Amino acid sequence: MQEFSKEELQARLTGDELVIGVDVGSTTVKLVCVDPLTREILWSKYERHETRQANKVMEMLVTIGETFSNVQRDNIRMFITGSGAGPLAEPLGARFVQEVNAVTLSVEALHPDVGSVVELGGQDAKIIIFMENPTTGEKQAICSMNDKCASGTGATLDKCFIKVGMPQSAVTQVHFDAERLHKVAAKCGVFAETDVVNLIKAGIPSPEILCSLGDAIVTQNLSVLTRGNTLRSQVLLLGGPNTYLPFLREAWRIRIPETWDERGYDYPKDVPIEELIIVPDNAQYYAAYGAVIFGLDEPADVGRYAGLSGLKAFVDHGRKASLSAGSGPGLTADHRELTDFRALYAIPPFHPAVYEPGQKVQGYIGLDGGSTSSKAVLVDERGDILAKAYKLSEGNPIQDMKDLLASLKRHVTDQGAELEVLGFGATGYAADVLEESVGADVNIVETVAHMLSAVRFFGEVDVICDIGGQDIKVLFMQNGDIKNFRLSNQCSAGNGMLLQAMADQFGVDLKQYADVAFKAELSPVFSYGCAVFLDTDRVNFQKEGYSADELLAGLAMVLPKNVWQYVVQIPRMAELGTRYVLQGGTQYNLAAVKAQVDYIKDRVPGAEVFVHPHTGEAGAIGAAMETLRIVQRRGKSTFIGLDEAINIAFTTKNDDETTCHFCANNCSRTFIDTRTNDGRTSRYIAGFSCEKGTVESHDAMLDLVEQRKELKKKYVNLAEYESHLLFRSFHKPDPMPEDGTEIEDIRVKVNWLGQLKREPYRRAFRRSSEAAAARRAKLRIGIPRVLNIWTTAPLWRTYFESLGLAKRNIVFSDETDEEMWKQGAKYGSVDPCFPSKVVQSHFHNLFFKKHTDARKLDHIFFPSITHLPSFVEGAMGNTSCPIVSGSPCVNQASFIKEKDYFKERGIDYVFDAVNLLEPTLLRQQMFAMWSERLGITEDENDFAMAQAWEAMRQVDAELERRGMEVLEQVEADDRIALVLLCRPYHLDQGLNHGLLEEFQALGYPVISIRSIPKDKAWLSRWFGSEADTGMSPLDIRDVWPENYSTNSVQKVWAAKFAARHPNVAVLDLSSFKCGHDSPTYGLIDTIIKAGKTPYMALHDIDANKPSGSMKIRVKTFGHTLKRVEEELQDRAARMDELERRITERRRELMHQYRAQQLEEALADPRKRQALEEMDAAFETYLAEDEHILGIRLSETSHEGQHLISLRDDIRPSEPEITVLDLSGRRLAAAENR
Amino acid sequence: MPTTPTSPLRITSTGIEFSGSDHVPASPGHHAIDFSDIEAEMKAFEETERTRLGLIEETLDHWLDDNPQAFTAGQRSSTTILHGGLTFAQDMMIEAALTGMGYRMKAMAVPDNDALRVGKEFGNRGQCNPTYFTVGNLVKHLQHLRDVKGMATDDIIENHIFLTAGACGPCRFGTYATEYRKALRDAGFDGFRVMLFQQQGGLKQATGEAAGLDMTTMFFLSIIKGIVAGDVLNALGYRIRPYEVVPGAADAALTRCRDMICATLRERGSLLLTLLKCRRIMEAVEVDRLQPKPKVMIIGEFWAMTTEGEGNYKLQRFLEQEGAEVDIQLVTAWILYSIWEVRWDTSKRMKLRGVDAAGDGLEGVEPVHRVAMLRMADWVLRATFQVFANAMGLTDYHLPDMDELASTANEFYRNELRGGEGHMEVAKLIQSVEKKKSHMVVSVKPFGCMPSSGVSDGIQTLITRKYPEAIFCPIETSGDGEVNVHSRVQMFLFKARQKARAEFEASLSGKGLDLETARGRVDTYRRRGIYYPPHTAVGTGANMANAL
Repeated sequence: MQEFSKEELQARLTGDELVIGVDVGSTTVKLVCVDPLTREILWSKYERHETRQANKVMEMLVTIGETFSNVQRDNIRMFITGSGAGPLAEPLGARFVQEVNAVTLSVEALHPDVGSVVELGGQDAKIIIFMENPTTGEKQAICSMNDKCASGTGATLDKCFIKVGMPQSAVTQVHFDAERLHKVAAKCGVFAETDVVNLIKAGIPSPEILCSLGDAIVTQNLSVLTRGNTLRSQVLLLGGPNTYLPFLREAWRIRIPETWDERGYDYPKDVPIEELIIVPDNAQYYAAYGAVIFGLDEPADVGRYAGLSGLKAFVDHGRKASLSAGSGPGLTADHRELTDFRALYAIPPFHPAVYEPGQKVQGYIGLDGGSTSSKAVLVDERGDILAKAYKLSEGNPIQDMKDLLASLKRHVTDQGAELEVLGFGATGYAADVLEESVGADVNIVETVAHMLSAVRFFGEVDVICDIGGQDIKVLFMQNGDIKNFRLSNQCSAGNGMLLQAMADQFGVDLKQYADVAFKAELSPVFSYGCAVFLDTDRVNFQKEGYSADELLAGLAMVLPKNVWQYVVQIPRMAELGTRYVLQGGTQYNLAAVKAQVDYIKDRVPGAEVFVHPHTGEAGAIGAAMETLRIVQRRGKSTFIGLDEAINIAFTTKNDDETTCHFCANNCSRTFIDTRTNDGRTSRYIAGFSCEKGTVESHDAMLDLVEQRKELKKKYVNLAEYESHLLFRSFHKPDPMPEDGTEIEDIRVKVNWLGQLKREPYRRAFRRSSEAAAARRAKLRIGIPRVLNIWTTAPLWRTYFESLGLAKRNIVFSDETDEEMWKQGAKYGSVDPCFPSKVVQSHFHNLFFKKHTDARKLDHIFFPSITHLPSFVEGAMGNTSCPIVSGSPCVNQASFIKEKDYFKERGIDYVFDAVNLLEPTLLRQQMFAMWSERLGITEDENDFAMAQAWEAMRQVDAELERRGMEVLEQVEADDRIALVLLCRPYHLDQGLNHGLLEEFQALGYPVISIRSIPKDKAWLSRWFGSEADTGMSPLDIRDVWPENYSTNSVQKVWAAKFAARHPNVAVLDLSSFKCGHDSPTYGLIDTIIKAGKTPYMALHDIDANKPSGSMKIRVKTFGHTLKRVEEELQDRAARMDELERRITERRRELMHQYRAQQLEEALADPRKRQALEEMDAAFETYLAEDEHILGIRLSETSHEGQHLISLRDDIRPSEPEITVLDLSGRRLAAAENR
Repeated sequence: MPTTPTSPLRITSTGIEFSGSDHVPASPGHHAIDFSDIEAEMKAFEETERTRLGLIEETLDHWLDDNPQAFTAGQRSSTTILHGGLTFAQDMMIEAALTGMGYRMKAMAVPDNDALRVGKEFGNRGQCNPTYFTVGNLVKHLQHLRDVKGMATDDIIENHIFLTAGACGPCRFGTYATEYRKALRDAGFDGFRVMLFQQQGGLKQATGEAAGLDMTTMFFLSIIKGIVAGDVLNALGYRIRPYEVVPGAADAALTRCRDMICATLRERGSLLLTLLKCRRIMEAVEVDRLQPKPKVMIIGEFWAMTTEGEGNYKLQRFLEQEGAEVDIQLVTAWILYSIWEVRWDTSKRMKLRGVDAAGDGLEGVEPVHRVAMLRMADWVLRATFQVFANAMGLTDYHLPDMDELASTANEFYRNELRGGEGHMEVAKLIQSVEKKKSHMVVSVKPFGCMPSSGVSDGIQTLITRKYPEAIFCPIETSGDGEVNVHSRVQMFLFKARQKARAEFEASLSGKGLDLETARGRVDTYRRRGIYYPPHTAVGTGANMANAL
């Protein structure tokens, strides 16, 4: 925009009126001065407000006042927009204008030909599509905004820039490269950050990460935010990120035309893409300018500028008064409390060890490659810390390690001493690559490292709470080991990072966070939960007028709520114990510590809260301690040596060659090749999503498959078996009765009173024509492999097969995988749980893969299943989840609203409601749906349904039989089987992220709910107490009276079973946003806890696979399971020991008893004589040569040798008979003879 | 070769002694051991060994949900029945009606954000907001009794019960009671009784002694009276308030009427007479209906659209402040839908060649009789509503025809799918356009609401395609992010306002009038609060102009 002098500006104003548009955003203030007659922008400016919105607006208005000193105040009108505008409108006399509205008006005024607008803001994303109403010709704007979960668009980008370590200036130089993209979930800001961290740790170059993030944001918005609508050209890109980030603009310019081509949208292909997808100059002023346009349409008395006095009063006094009465207190009540607190909790300064010149220092190094920073410690042989090193991760684990090791080395050599490293151990995201490349002695999971470290400093503790940049980990301890643990799920991740990002946003150095926050006398009350939601709250509070110190205090105070209420979910904290350790980098922030300490002490009487003295390095210390133990025990180290490690050369390769082509996912892998000075090389592979990615050659792949096969046999996974069995054709239906076969039926009659009567009668079976049967044999029916089809597939398959449809013509969509999701996730209009969103991809799969010109689908069958039968008894209802049952209708809407995908292919979509709880009704519902389509008679329909139910019965019987085998076996072997608590569709590998395989690889068989035997007699072993009260073992009313959702009810029952069976552990899976599972979270947790069953829950499964956090969970749970299995085996061994001891003891007592008997006899002459006589008789008996087995020994003396050797062979073990020797009063045992 | 015994233990009459010697001397007079001694010793030995080896059999105390339900007639006089969850007027009227029957009732305050926070603290993760708001509201109320009023926890538990509606799927609503008990336990009110007033099945409670809640027809009718009277008063309020000439006059009149109705219900006086008196109060509120206010229909999830507090960011008031006239959905319509469900389900199964026992199967049911009774219930409810409405001056108000809504929705949202979104969201949006009922439709849904945001919103994208003239604004509520929600509503409202203005101007010009002349034609009759012009256009202003 051209700059003009004050005089020129005054001259350009055509009248004596001026209109000011103000846009107060979350970070900046934008002002425009417009000539109302020409609608021309005369003056504009934007500045960051650093949360002092009112002051900034005032400051800018002063400048305007000076610039347009020729305009009378009464001739100025003002219109204000933006998230922070609310409280300023009234003091200024301005009229508030809604932001999107303002932007829309601006766009309509400045770009009349535009077809759609995409605006990415700091907090939200909006898409406006201008549609022409075909009847009126009127242009109408369809607006959609992101839901809460996908908010934080610009904020997310900002946080990721910090993570990848690129300054703003460098970021604006990055260009889009579609060839080098990696998986990032942009559904939610926190998920995206988690993925970005993983990419950083896998050594992916920062520009590639940013491009991947940009692409993910673009794709996410195109698939979800458009609500299934197609953007119309021209597309206007607005908002900060679109304006400043070339890679983002370029991503839009690639992805939007792709959707146009896919959906057959006609756009001018000869026009350069830059002219179809436009990024206007000065777009930052659109909202402010739009506010003016809005205002010009308002009556003249609206928006009359009231001058600065009102605003000044607001700044001086109004702010606090206007803050909602609901604000909370500050972090400390008074100065004294703060001083006391600081004295008690300030982390003591660390003084690194001092050495004599020439001294030889020996030590062990532990390294923790954390999410945002990497830390290392050097400890001596006693485990005392000599030195620490810290650095913000630069995006390459090898480089980070080199820098940290060099720093530790310098610490010693700078003092003229010499360092010898006796062992090296690693934990955290980088541990795998370091184990491979530098031969780390130890590669332990973070949780265990944190535990070792806390125990080292505080001995017996009850709870360890570690808050890092990304994760919250809470460990519950028993006997010095992890008894149980909770990890932040994706929705509660990123809390530490949020504190940092928020401090950054306010220009506060993280180290000053606490000092600033302690100043606040009041604080806004954030609603706890995900970091993105907190950020939304922050915008709200900023708008209300809270200042930076208050916001920072409020944010620190929400941290404990997030930890204890959201992650841990145990409201009665006192149950956990009284000794708490706080660690993790966030504890450097004393504001966070204060909030935590207050929260814990408030709820746990007598609580002792310790802050780890090396809070940021707890993981590294744990790794060092374990290294110390392992190396000392083993007597040697596998570490390549300090200098070798520091000088290790490495290359990171990520190109076509490293892409994994073993499946359609085509994972973009990174090979990190290292070479030591002496020429040793190693390769670490990162970036794959399944085991296949770990190998490089076809042969290696075959080996892997072999290994998997072995594993499958050894540790059977019945969940996987179930998922295979369900979709196979295994039941051969009975032959259809011939036409005319006599059958029984019921006739419904209405009597003269209007009452219904049902009369049985006999009649002939009716069959459809041969022509109809021939037509049926050729029909192809597609069924999406989703949701409750995972329970009912055999029913539908058998129904159709019984009616003569060919087996191969019942076509299920493929099992979900990433590629399928990616290709098909473009039609969604709602954003519920992943299992229901993925349905669109299965439709895509049916439309584009299963339906071909050569083999067409005639129907797609996706019944709206409203009710499901259940094995659980006494349930108050048996409904499906409403999203699941409604999904067939939602997908109808998705696939017909822009164009009719069914009609286009000649496919008939059959999706009426069915109720599997009422077989008679179901028969009628199926007949209503299929009678004409298949040309069947009602009798044929009834017959097919009977066959279908038989197939369902067979599946259940088969799975339960296998389940019983597994359970009996683990019991016999004192081992553990994993019971999978989930909804049926979680058996889909694409929905469970292959988690089961990981446990199978650890050596645990897996059983599904369906494969737990339901035989009541068998169950009575475990449900004895229920049986005593006359309750069925299949009833759950004792734990959950309000039980109506079939799949939830079955989950709760399985939890009851697991709590009672000593040889099972539980893996509990739920999808993010699962509304039917959420009421059972507490329930299942309580049931399992009472049963002391090992338990791991993953309650937020979504489209993206959070590999990093899943790995921690699997490894930590693996640690717990191993301990439990050892306990079981140990217990079995102790039981043997007990039995042995009891036998021995009984023998001893019997000896004593007999000895005592003997003694008594000896003391009594009469008894003694009788005994002597009887002894003599016994001796005589033994000495006599009698017939034994018809032969006398004396008669066989010539064959004796042979006989004896034969007898030796067959001789049974010696009986343990004790003979009393009367004369010597001694006891002789047979075994000692 | 005989050996010596190895045991260092020996048995004495008093038990076991450690001798440390190989021999077990038998001293004269020593008590002879017998087998019972051995068995006793073995038992003790096993116990010692088990302890030593850590093999003590632990009896697991498996978890049980006690679900306390006992509320007897004898406790009635000392027990306060807490309730809430509808509009403020209705909660008050139910309180009054049941107080009139001899119960000690207490309507809780409309849930606010503090209730949400408490609900989140003690509820399960991932619940929908209505759960958090309502569960938190109860816990918050009890905490207030304990912490502020100083009542002992035991007294609270012994002398209070909570009465709420129950359901049997399909959404989370059916598990609220589970959630209430979890939160109560965790908040330290273990044993507090939550009684379910089943939507379709009467009250769940322990029998034996006469039940504390006497489920007579009178009991139900009293509740119905409170709900219907509340609905009529609310509907009237939303018609009058946006057009009141004196700011605050409508609310003052509504408060007076509410108090009068409550007093009558409490004292069991003549409700009809009171309603007629209310009519005169409402009538006296002067209105100027000749204003082009956009008419905004609020639909959505039942609780989120009904509550008048922070649960939906005070949406109704917000819309009015932004210059809209709000068309709310009545609780009576919801009851009609519940009646329709059972009638429809029964009718669908009547002619089947067999009866099913499970689910809604008709085993043991006389379907013709049931359908007749449900038709009767439907008629009685509608008649009650019309009588109350006519008495109070709510003219020309039509309760929805559930069969019509069902057939409108079915093509897009199958009637078998429950939760009410097919009728109350999809069909309502279609009717809003087809029958010119509103300029704009706001659909309120709690974040993560399964049938509403997970299903109906998806289907509504098809409806808005079919009816591009619809201004449809779906919003998600979560307790936070009020700014965003209000912004979103304002954005849609801008278009609706333009539409209303254009329609109003068209009506005036159709009549050949300008605003001033038209104003001059409005007589005293049409300035009465209860006057509502006949439905010829969408907006009340346009209707008014057309009526001149």
